[in-house]
This record gives sequence, structure tokens and C-alpha cells, in this order.
Amino acid sequence: MPTKPILSPINVLKGKIPDEKSGIEVRKTICSICNPISHCGIDAYVKDGVVIKVEGTRENPHNAGTLCSKGAANRQYIYHPDRIMTPLIKKGDRNSGQFEPISWEEALDIIGERLLRMRDESGPESVVFYAGFPKWMRPFLKRLAHSFGSPNYCSESSTCSAGALLASKLNYGAAARPELPKCRCLLVWSTNPFYSNTSAVRKLLDVMEKGIKVIEVGPLITPLTSHADIHLRIRPGTSGALALGMACVIIEEGLHDQEFVEKWTVGFDEYRAYTGEFTLARTSEITGVPSDLIVKAARLYATTKPAGVLNGPNATVHHTNGVQNHRAITALIGLTGNFDREGGNYLVPPSYLYVVNGLTTRQQAFEQSRPWDEMPPRVGEDLYPVWCRLIPEAQAIHLPFQIRSGKPYPIRAVMGFGMNHRMWPGSDHMRESLKMLDFLVDVDLFMTDTARLADLVLPACTSFERSELKFYPEQHVIWTGPVIEPLGESRPDADIIFDMAARLAPEDPLLKKGYKECVDWILKPTGLKVDDLKRYPSGYTLKDIPMPPYRKYEGRGFDTPSGKMEFTSTVLEEAGIDPLPRFKEPGLSPWSTPEVAGEFPLILTTGARLPIYVHSRTFRLPWIRRLRPDPMVDMNPVDAQHRDLSPGDWVELSTQRGKVRVRANLTEIVPPGTVNIFHNYPGADINKLIEPDYLDPISGYPGFKSLLCEIRKAS
Amino acid sequence: MNRDGHMTRLTFSLDVSRCSGCMACVVACMDQNDPPEGILGFRSVERIEMGAYPHVRISFVSISCFNCENPPCIMVCPTGAIRRSGNNGIVQTVTDLCIGCHACLMACPFGSPVFGGAGTMTKCNSCEERVDQGLEPACVRVCPTRALRFGPAARAALETPGETG
Repeated sequence: MPTKPILSPINVLKGKIPDEKSGIEVRKTICSICNPISHCGIDAYVKDGVVIKVEGTRENPHNAGTLCSKGAANRQYIYHPDRIMTPLIKKGDRNSGQFEPISWEEALDIIGERLLRMRDESGPESVVFYAGFPKWMRPFLKRLAHSFGSPNYCSESSTCSAGALLASKLNYGAAARPELPKCRCLLVWSTNPFYSNTSAVRKLLDVMEKGIKVIEVGPLITPLTSHADIHLRIRPGTSGALALGMACVIIEEGLHDQEFVEKWTVGFDEYRAYTGEFTLARTSEITGVPSDLIVKAARLYATTKPAGVLNGPNATVHHTNGVQNHRAITALIGLTGNFDREGGNYLVPPSYLYVVNGLTTRQQAFEQSRPWDEMPPRVGEDLYPVWCRLIPEAQAIHLPFQIRSGKPYPIRAVMGFGMNHRMWPGSDHMRESLKMLDFLVDVDLFMTDTARLADLVLPACTSFERSELKFYPEQHVIWTGPVIEPLGESRPDADIIFDMAARLAPEDPLLKKGYKECVDWILKPTGLKVDDLKRYPSGYTLKDIPMPPYRKYEGRGFDTPSGKMEFTSTVLEEAGIDPLPRFKEPGLSPWSTPEVAGEFPLILTTGARLPIYVHSRTFRLPWIRRLRPDPMVDMNPVDAQHRDLSPGDWVELSTQRGKVRVRANLTEIVPPGTVNIFHNYPGADINKLIEPDYLDPISGYPGFKSLLCEIRKAS
Repeated sequence: MNRDGHMTRLTFSLDVSRCSGCMACVVACMDQNDPPEGILGFRSVERIEMGAYPHVRISFVSISCFNCENPPCIMVCPTGAIRRSGNNGIVQTVTDLCIGCHACLMACPFGSPVFGGAGTMTKCNSCEERVDQGLEPACVRVCPTRALRFGPAARAALETPGETG
């Protein structure tokens, strides 16, 4: 018999042990602070209707009981004093930032009345529907936009993973992910899953410990680096050159898959000729990577079969040549015969909300309630025709420009969900543009700086206070139930959208049936139903889901105009763009703009994840903020020495567009000559220092990850 | 107690090769223990950088009270405010006896003791209430890379971290 501890008698509430004595009950939900690939299962410890602790759900195969630092902070997220408790309407002057409460009925009626009037006066396209984070309400919002008649549904995907998807679609008609754990070699290109997709790294580490070869590409040292066989520390913005240089080695040494290339690709001769320009000496000079490492990496990737390429959602495309750089990277997959092969990059279409697990739903059919050709052109369609051809939404980065120009038609209202103007390059330009609208609505959890600009603010609730459908890559599915009552008068985003639909698109046959019925409609091909899923509070792991075969192209070709993998893109050629994955220097770099580099000699890369932050979503949580209270720029000690800086010094980081005051974090995470800073700090918004038109010409993506700056000790 | 009647010392182990410095353990500790104002919780993560460009190695360590075999804090405490608990060897503080002299902090190789607003020492107690119920400490449960473990000291040294149920 174990003796009871003598020093501290068991205090059940202190230990938060769930049982009858403590009155603590464990209820199941999910976290939705970060991206939909994660959204870990949560055990919410609830006492008297209040969450007093969270833990990862052990029986959820995705996170298996674990969480990340953000997920562990959910209580401060749910109960933050900045939570909006009632619908609010702007009081007095539009720029006052002052609000007064209003009832839901009044708020929704105002929205209905104003937006319908604008539709009559200026056409439905003058109203934009925007979805930020999280992404769970997107299918419903997109359908509402199109049923209302507007082509202008857009989202945070205008800077997220859609750019890389676009590039892959140009090459292959689709994007394919590495089939772990079957890969024997993993080429990890500019991504740090330890901080961006924490729930997945447990399994990645298990695979790496079994001896998989890992090549890491990226300027920063990450937790992956110590596990990598080779680390190619490129200068930011030179991914394309490195990929072409690697291709040159692979082709010259005859390591490419000649059978695949001959039978299933177009444009190989032009591509081969072009890669010939990327000699080792030149590639090394451009990228800063030693020649011997380029050769070693090219050989290791090309000869270790099967091999997968793992890229981040956007680090490779946040450059002014982002799409072409990413095309050059993914071209290596086909070149080496690893596309849609077992253990290579395996093509499985997403099932629901970006998750790939072999299931098929009707999400796309649900969202597109009206075909594009029955609606006016989308925001950005004239400038980014390739984006609009391949990505089924408007390009949100162009929104401030069209608000200002009124061309080709005026934008009068934005109905935003979780909108943050700091996502845009030149965030002040976006902020001022939003003020020019006739009507701005923001649905949010917190009174954010963007919400303060709105005419109407509606309170959303967290994942703990609502019901939603969530798929996992592990073929696990959950329909969550609320574990606590919504705080104040806050409501689930979906409920708000369906109430708006009753006013804006009352004739939509699906939206008028309601939320749960729409989810059932989307789920139909899976045979799953919401009512059945309700019986499994922590979710249900599906058995025997048939996975698609490998090498599907052998049956139906590639989903490209030529039906083949395209080293030279037909879609780009038709749009008058160079069809080869051509490398170009970043818009601002020591090579492309030496005159700017004279005054701003440091390469600035922004937005790499920190483990405790996901965009702006956890800045306000005291537990998290205490771990890194001040905005910091990562800087190599060598660069600091040249500027007489000590660790923690306050510095002025400046670009041609402005400056921010941050602290110097002296670290070898960054190589000499490159500095790295997290985005979205309210008091040190780095996007203010980037021109609003510093963009990739194909996707409209901002060049967040390669530009120029200087750092000086702050006075 | 184990079969020989000796105390089974429970402690943390960390596989440094798997620790990514993600801070989940630090925040889970806060969520479990609701640290009072002025205290950041009982666990910290440090980044250790060795070398200089281009030959660099960066690792992370998660640190808290390891329930040492011969705890120096117990030896130096002038009032006997630090003791081991009976059944699992967890090093405990008796707040009423603490005079806030900081001797324990000077002696601790891990910097584990923390001093809050009241001036008295408090520290990680390995989530003893959970351990008594057969649960792991909150920091161990949360660890997304399974780098952090908790168990009998003799086993902790030998255990291969990694995937478990």
C-alpha cells in the first residue's frame, strides 16, 4: 500500500484531478488556434461550466495526448478580457474607435439591409466576403458570397499555402505531399514543422531516428537542423537558383528518371538547357551554399529512392519571384521520378478543409454555388489571371488597390471574419484603404486593431463554445460539441453566416436548411452523418479507407493543359509569362538593387514561426507574452559586433519605407548578413516596412521573406 | 516504496535530441498550477548555442526540479523547509517554515526554486497530486516530441524516449 504523502495532503482541486470529489469533468473538443492541419484534440477540464485546465486528447491519433504551447494556453485565449461580448455598432465619428452594444437582430438586419442596397446600387461584386483565421467557416462563407452573387470571396489563403499550390498546379495540375514514413530521403525546403505543425513532429522524429536521410534547405537553423544530414543555408530568395543548380547536377550526372521524363513531361529540352546556366560556381555564388554541399545534396536526393520533398506552406513563395522559385523546387520531384510514387510525393486530393486522408467530400461543389462565368471578374483577376484560373477565390492582397482605384469596379463593403490588416504588406496602406469603404463589418473574438475600424463588430466564439466537423490526416474524424456555453452573447461563426444567409441569399436551397444539414450534404460521399458522429465525443477513427493508387497519371494523365508534367508551363505561356521556372533575384537584394543595399545592407526575412505565436493570435495571452515580452529581431553576433550591439539592446530596424523599434536577439539561428523578425507585433509591425506592391507578379503574394534593411542602436 | 523497502525516486528525463524548445511544457505548467502574479511557472526552456557560423549547433533543454538524489537545497535550508515526500521521493517545500533566505536557489544546479510576491520559496512539485493518481506531470503529458519523461530514476536513465501510446 502506498503511503499518502505527509507533507502536502492531496488537494484534488489543486491537482485538478477529474472525479466526483473535485467536481471536475473532462469534455472533448479541439483547439483551433493554429492551422487546420493540426487542430489538436483537447480534453477540457470543466468545473462549474468553466474550463480550468486543458490537455491533449490521448485517443486522438493526431496529437495523442500532446499539445503545443499555444494549445496549452487555451484558457487565456477563451477567457481573455478583450473578448467581445455583444454585437457592437460604431458610436459617433467613424474613426472614433468607440462602440455601443446592439442586439443581434438589429446588427444582422443592418448588415442585410446595407448589403442588399449596395447590391442593387453597385452590383453584388461591390461586396467582399473575407475569411481570416481560423478556417472552419470558409465553405459556408464562400457559398454565401456566391449565392449573394459576389465573386469576391477571399481569404488569408492569399498569403498562405495557395501560392505553393498554384506553382505545383502549373507543373503537375496538383500538389502532392511526401508519403511519410515510407520516404527514405526527405528534402525539407524552408519549413520548420517543429513550430508550425507541432503535432506532426512526433512521428517525423520517429522516422528520422530510424535512419531516413534528411536534407534541409533554408537560411535559418531550426530544431530540424541537428537531425539533418545536409543543411543548405541559402541566401533568402534564392531557392529557385539552388533547385536549378541541383537539377543541373542531376541531369549532367544522368541521375534523373529518363523514362518518366521522356514519357510524361513536356519542355524538358528547354529546361535542361536552362539548368545548364546554373553551374556549380554560379549557383554557389548566388545562393551562398558551398559547391560541394550542392553536389552532395543533389546526389543524395536523386539516388535515394523513394524520396519526398516537404515544403512549407509559404516560405518558398513569399518572394517577388515566389511562384517560379517554387516551380523550380517541385520540378525536382518529377525529374527524379518521385511524383505520385510510393514513398515519394504521393498525390491524394484533400478531403475537407485542406486535410488529406483519402476521403472525398463535396466541399468544393458546396462552396461554388454559382459558376465563375455567371459572375463578374474577381478582385485581382485582371492582374493575376493565372491565380484566378487555378485558385478558386479572389486575390485579397489586391483588395486595398481596388478599394482605392475603383477599377475595374468599385468595392463598397467588406464583410470580414477574423480580418487583420497587418497581414498585408504596407499594412498601413490596407488600414487606410479599409477606412475608405462605405461599410466594414468584422466578426472576431477580440477587439483587434482591425475590428476597431469596423462599422459593426460581431462577437464570435472559440472552438470550445461551438460544434464543428474536423478531419485528421490519420483518418480520424470528430464532430465537436460545445464544452462550455458561449461567453456573453458571442456565437459560432457558422451561425452568424447562416443568419446572414437568411437575409442575403434566402433562396439558396442548401443554406436555408441550416448548418448541420449543409455539413451532412458535404459529407454525403463519405457515408458519414453528423448525428452518427455525435455518438463519439472524442472522435472516430475510420477503418479501411481505400487510398488512391500510385502513378494515377498513367491512367488519366496530369491535370495540366498538355496532360503531362510541364517543365514549360502552358498556362503561363498563355498568360504571356515565361513558361520556364526562371530564377530572378528578389526585388530588393544586394544583387538586384546594390544602390539600396549600400544604405540597407542586411537581408531582411520576416514571418518565420516562433513556437509560441501563430500570426497575431496569441500575442495578447499573458502566459505566452511573458516568454518573449518584447518584439525581437534575430541577428548574428558578427553583424551585432559591427554595429556595437549587445544582447537585448533596443535597436531601430529600418527599410526604405520606415522603421520599427525592437530588441536585438543575438543568435546563430540566422547566418551573418541576414536578420529575421516575426510579423504582426502590434507595436513593431514589420509589414509596415514593406511596400504594398512588393509582390510576386504571378500569384500576387508579398515578398515577405527577402528584402533589405539596416539596424542601428536605438537612441 | 519498492520491494526492498527503499524509496523509489521519481525524476524527469529529457532527450535533448528531441527537445525543440517549443515551450509547451512551460505553458502546460502554468495551466496546471495557475502561477501567482510574479511567478512564471516552475519550468523553463533554455536555448544553448555552440560554435559560430558556419559550424553551429543549437539545442534546447527543459529544466525544472529533478528531485535530486542528494538534493543540495535540502542540505542548505536552514529551517528544514525542504523535505522529501514519503512515498515517491518528490522534493517538497513547507511554505510555513520558509524564511525566504534564497540559500536553496544558490545551491540548486538547475535554478529551480522561485520566489513569489510573498518572498517565500516555491517550486515544481512534479505535479504530485497527479502522480499520486497515476497520471504524469502536466509538462510530460503535453510534450509534443516526447522528449520529456517522468518516472523512477533508475529507469529514466535507460529509457529510450519516443513514441508511446
